[in-house]
Amino acid sequence: MSTATSSVVRARRIPGWLGIATSTDHKRIGLNLGILSLLFFLVGGVLALLMRAQLASPNGHVVSDNTYAELFTMHGSTMIYLFVTPMAIAMAMYLVPLQIGAVSIAGPRIALTGFWIWLCGGLVMQSGWLTGDPGRDGWFSYIPLSDSTNTPGVGQDMWVVGVILAAAGLFVMAACVVGTILRHRAPGMSLMRMPVFTWTALVSVLMTVGSFPVLILVMVLLYIERQGGHIFIGFNGAIDYQDLFWFFGHPVVYVMFFPYLGAAAEAIAVSAHKRWFGYTFFVASMMLFSALSMSVWGHHMFTTGGVTNEYFAFTSTALVVPAGIEYFDMVATLIGGAIVLRTSMLFALGFFVQFLIGGLSGIFTGSPALDYHVNDSYFVIAHFHYTLFAGSVFGFFAGVYHWFPKVTGARLRESLGKLHFVLLAIGTNMTFFPMFILGQEGMTRRISRYPTHPGWATLNRIETAGSVVIALAIASFLANMWVSLRRRESAGEDPWLGHTLEWATSSPPPAHNFDRPLPPITSYAPLLDLREAAEDRARAGRGTPS
Amino acid sequence: MSGGAIPLLAWGALLVVLGAINWIWTGDAIQVETFAFAVLVIIGSAGALVLMSRQALRHGPPQPRGDPEAVPQVSVAAVVAGLSVGSIAFGFVFGAFFTLFGFGMLVASLGRLAIEVRAQRRSERSLKEGRS
Repeated sequence: MSTATSSVVRARRIPGWLGIATSTDHKRIGLNLGILSLLFFLVGGVLALLMRAQLASPNGHVVSDNTYAELFTMHGSTMIYLFVTPMAIAMAMYLVPLQIGAVSIAGPRIALTGFWIWLCGGLVMQSGWLTGDPGRDGWFSYIPLSDSTNTPGVGQDMWVVGVILAAAGLFVMAACVVGTILRHRAPGMSLMRMPVFTWTALVSVLMTVGSFPVLILVMVLLYIERQGGHIFIGFNGAIDYQDLFWFFGHPVVYVMFFPYLGAAAEAIAVSAHKRWFGYTFFVASMMLFSALSMSVWGHHMFTTGGVTNEYFAFTSTALVVPAGIEYFDMVATLIGGAIVLRTSMLFALGFFVQFLIGGLSGIFTGSPALDYHVNDSYFVIAHFHYTLFAGSVFGFFAGVYHWFPKVTGARLRESLGKLHFVLLAIGTNMTFFPMFILGQEGMTRRISRYPTHPGWATLNRIETAGSVVIALAIASFLANMWVSLRRRESAGEDPWLGHTLEWATSSPPPAHNFDRPLPPITSYAPLLDLREAAEDRARAGRGTPS
Repeated sequence: MSGGAIPLLAWGALLVVLGAINWIWTGDAIQVETFAFAVLVIIGSAGALVLMSRQALRHGPPQPRGDPEAVPQVSVAAVVAGLSVGSIAFGFVFGAFFTLFGFGMLVASLGRLAIEVRAQRRSERSLKEGRS
């Protein structure tokens, strides 16, 4: 047996809201970040519903052209900077110290500062609405569209400052997670005994640390440009801006993917009552996947003529190798498993199946010849929503249903959970699949009105109806949380027979995570090891061959 | 912590290879520079870990810690530091007052943080002495 630490000095506590706001406990910081990210998700979702209402007919009059531009900008910015990325960091912040047997996160005060910097960024970005003129140049704010001549007004400045703060806060929190994994593992927890989720979190935070400073730099330069700085001049200036932005912009897609992949993998292994298959290959593929994804950003710029398309097509296509290994591991874990189709498992399977559509359509957009055809069309919108919504958000919900009992001590209702899954799967495919057809037929993105080509209005109406189904799915999830927390069904410490250390402590975990010695750590699934050893002993006692 | 630098070095090595291919294939200065920055951050972090402890390069599981560890539970100063950074940035859009106010709060919160860290180290020392 090992202990998480030799001893812990406890400091004073502050009760109430002030205590929640000032707590340096990694679980509280992770929860605060997660809850606020979820609120921003609801804001981004409302903006998406308004966009879909406008597009329900070819000449919609729900919002003006200018407001539509503000809606898609703030929708994308809210989802990326304030929901999917921070939620990934929140999950890592909460779970990683528990999974590696640490008593706290590295630099808890720094992590708390990072959280508040991120929150300031979110509030500054959203308060652009109060100026009546929030950002309206897309979540990437290309130059020269976003310079002060083409986009005057304080709202765009607030957007830039909001992005700088949000990115800085996330960078700081990610650095704390890196430090925790590298320096705070429990005795016995070697690198190759870390759980699958922790590995996915590690590569994500490494990418954050390596790429987010470039976003901060390019946003500072954009701010200076908007004050008359003349930084990005002419064609080369615009290309340089895109190069710098996408050096962050593509890795962040994987920061928004890997932790949810880890969550889905944990849910699958536990619900199949099997060890995750091919652990060593999985770890190697994660390292390769994340490094490769730092070198593919130029595929966002194929049609600019400013990048070497062959290099970026090569690296983008090479991503299928590590991705294939992960899918192989997932299928092999399922084969021969005693599968229980609980809600977390359904969302995990939904994640893998739907992300496959996003991944396969990514092969199209990763090929310059095809990208020239689909660039700036709804095909691209369909592709990234299949990766980030049909993929990551399903992985997120797999994680929520899997770890909710650990975080709260109560189970989510399975019946409402299954309703949530069915509605979300239907709504997602209704909303995003027709976009492939529209994009192939030439409907361009970022337009508030579209031509009355045969079938376009029908497909757009299907998408709008799908977005309402998604809203119903999210409402059922919120209802499930409300019911489950009001009329609690106690989950106990380990309701699913988990494999990793977070299931070896009370639910919710105590202030310093573990109030008893940790079990022996001899693999990446120490609790499964214990159960298998006990079964072996019982079998030997009965005299039956193993 | 044993092995802490190894994933950083492995990942940094992969980035070096991909950056070198980018350099040879594209010869684009801004791309090579951004790649070099990422490599520098990752390899630099690995170097810092090795400087802190040679154990960072050692394979195998970590050993039990000998020293007690003090874990803070609240920090008002950390919150104020975060808010002051927000105020400084907000001031760039809405006027110097917020920036100056933010700088003032930042200095005060950093001072308070230094006091908190000293108190934490003091409790660790006293626990260690009590144990020995």
